[in-house]
Amino acid sequence: MRVDGSKASAFDEAFDYVIVGSGAAGATAARVLADTGRSVAVLEEGPAVDPKEFSTEVFPSFQRMFRGQGGQVARGRAFIPVVQGRCLGGSTVINSAIVWRLPDDVWEPWKTEYGLGDALPLSELHKHWDLIEKELSIAETPPQVWGEFNRLMDVAKTNLRVSAAPIRRNVRDCRASARCLTGCPTSAKQSMLVTYLPYAEKKGAALLTCAKAEEIRWDGDRATAVSGTFEAPGRPRFTARARKAVLVAASAIQTPGLLARSGVDSPHLGEHFQAHPGCALMGIFPNKVGMWRGATQGYDADHHRRLGRFKIETIALPPEIVFARLPGAGKRWMRAMLETPYAAIWAVQMRAWAQGSVRERFFGTDIKFDLTPRDLVQMRRGLRFTAELFFAAGAKEVWPGIHGLPERIKPGEEWLLETAPADSRAYSMILSHLFGTARMSVRAADGVVGTDFAVHATRNLFVVDSSLFPTNTSVNPQHTIMGVAMHAANRISEAKL
Amino acid sequence: MNARSRAVIEALIPQGGQPPLPGAFESGFDDFYARFQNTALPSMRLGFRAALWAAAWLSPLLIGRVPPLSRLSSEDRERALEAMGASRSYHVRQLLLLLKAVISFHYGAHPAVRRALEFPS
Repeated sequence: MRVDGSKASAFDEAFDYVIVGSGAAGATAARVLADTGRSVAVLEEGPAVDPKEFSTEVFPSFQRMFRGQGGQVARGRAFIPVVQGRCLGGSTVINSAIVWRLPDDVWEPWKTEYGLGDALPLSELHKHWDLIEKELSIAETPPQVWGEFNRLMDVAKTNLRVSAAPIRRNVRDCRASARCLTGCPTSAKQSMLVTYLPYAEKKGAALLTCAKAEEIRWDGDRATAVSGTFEAPGRPRFTARARKAVLVAASAIQTPGLLARSGVDSPHLGEHFQAHPGCALMGIFPNKVGMWRGATQGYDADHHRRLGRFKIETIALPPEIVFARLPGAGKRWMRAMLETPYAAIWAVQMRAWAQGSVRERFFGTDIKFDLTPRDLVQMRRGLRFTAELFFAAGAKEVWPGIHGLPERIKPGEEWLLETAPADSRAYSMILSHLFGTARMSVRAADGVVGTDFAVHATRNLFVVDSSLFPTNTSVNPQHTIMGVAMHAANRISEAKL
Repeated sequence: MNARSRAVIEALIPQGGQPPLPGAFESGFDDFYARFQNTALPSMRLGFRAALWAAAWLSPLLIGRVPPLSRLSSEDRERALEAMGASRSYHVRQLLLLLKAVISFHYGAHPAVRRALEFPS
């Protein structure tokens, strides 16, 4: 059953499980719970967008499928865009389908420092990842869809002898359209929109779209319903009553707000916000690269992931995004545009030490995030390494786009990147992997969610998204989020509620 | 859009500036701007207006000229906008970035521009 909240009238129905959020976590939980034969409702704030309607243009895509029309930012010393999907399927619809299992070295402190080894057992997570990888056709990106901008990183890998590899992705019959970020036009990307949500729907789950969850209702320590408003004219109200449990999977940005509005009180709620800031360089090659043909993100270098805390990824960005960062104005800006067919973009994805916060204010969600001095050192090392990779692949110059550095860096000048300002305002960054704002803890005093995934001091209000992660993951988190959500949903389905 | 704002857009992507790329207005920026005004979030519209204002009135001062930008020669207009991008003030640089980002939403999607870049149709 689907309820389109852009046209719906008031709604009040009861389900066994009510899930807030339809992204990687919510959809995976729906897939598991729908299999139990119980009734499930999934609430999604954004619209359901048919893949046939995906546009090659960024502006309409941002308006339709991205939170804040793509304009959501974290405040700090610098403004950093925070990229999130806001549509059925969540960010899985607009990400690059990158799949990484949680590395052992990241999980180890979850066990030893946070005491979560039993709550998030790695052996169980691996079983879930095995299943997900089978169901979502996860495989290494094959050379025939690399495109030149991914192939060049393979060249750099060979020439520098560093650890790098084709990215494993959840795609089936990828056509190399380089359009992951505005929604895969061929549905090759196995996003939640085309996989687990239709699966759950077939099993009887109700999908409510354009439905903003505003509050969780209570009977003592028991969550009884989620209420909110549809987007339809007049903003009709909906209530999804929960006979057994409410699962919150609204992301590390929205989950703390919903919990706070619903009366959950914890000094950790909205705190410990962590992310993977990304910063890109552009390499200019002597021959055409044509970054708009190939897997959007098909190759990455994890050489410095563990000790350096950064990973380098290829990425194809649409012209609209590329242009904004090009140097110059007027004729010089236009000349730079004409050089983009010779460009590849590779980005540093950093496991930041920084912790920020997410709060609900009268003007909306207030995200605060500032890189620490240590992070800036690592960022500059990552940028230098990226330039080294570019030159090893044959680039004739690198455009850093960093205030205080030359606009163009030649081979042999990579060291300049380590002299870039130790100030986040000099860089153009984005935040796209978000964690920790309702973190799991053994003791109520240390976090928001218990080891049974229930919010401390509640019986049946569960958090199953990356809000509960005690740290960032150092790798792209979708797979970890799905594995954890699958584990959580299995446990919740077995619990006496 | 008033004449001073049009001068900013024209200076950023001038007609005949770099064939085969079209100028901003030649490529239909007016239609995009109308759509942007009708559908963009208030914060984006406000930010874009602030960026236009800064480019029109502030950028000439950065190269020692009297504002507005529309009074300057085309070379000086470009120099003034470049000066915004190189400014020591983070907020001034951000305003130019916002200006370029919104214009790029239109310009980067234009068929003639995409053809020039060999963007797959």
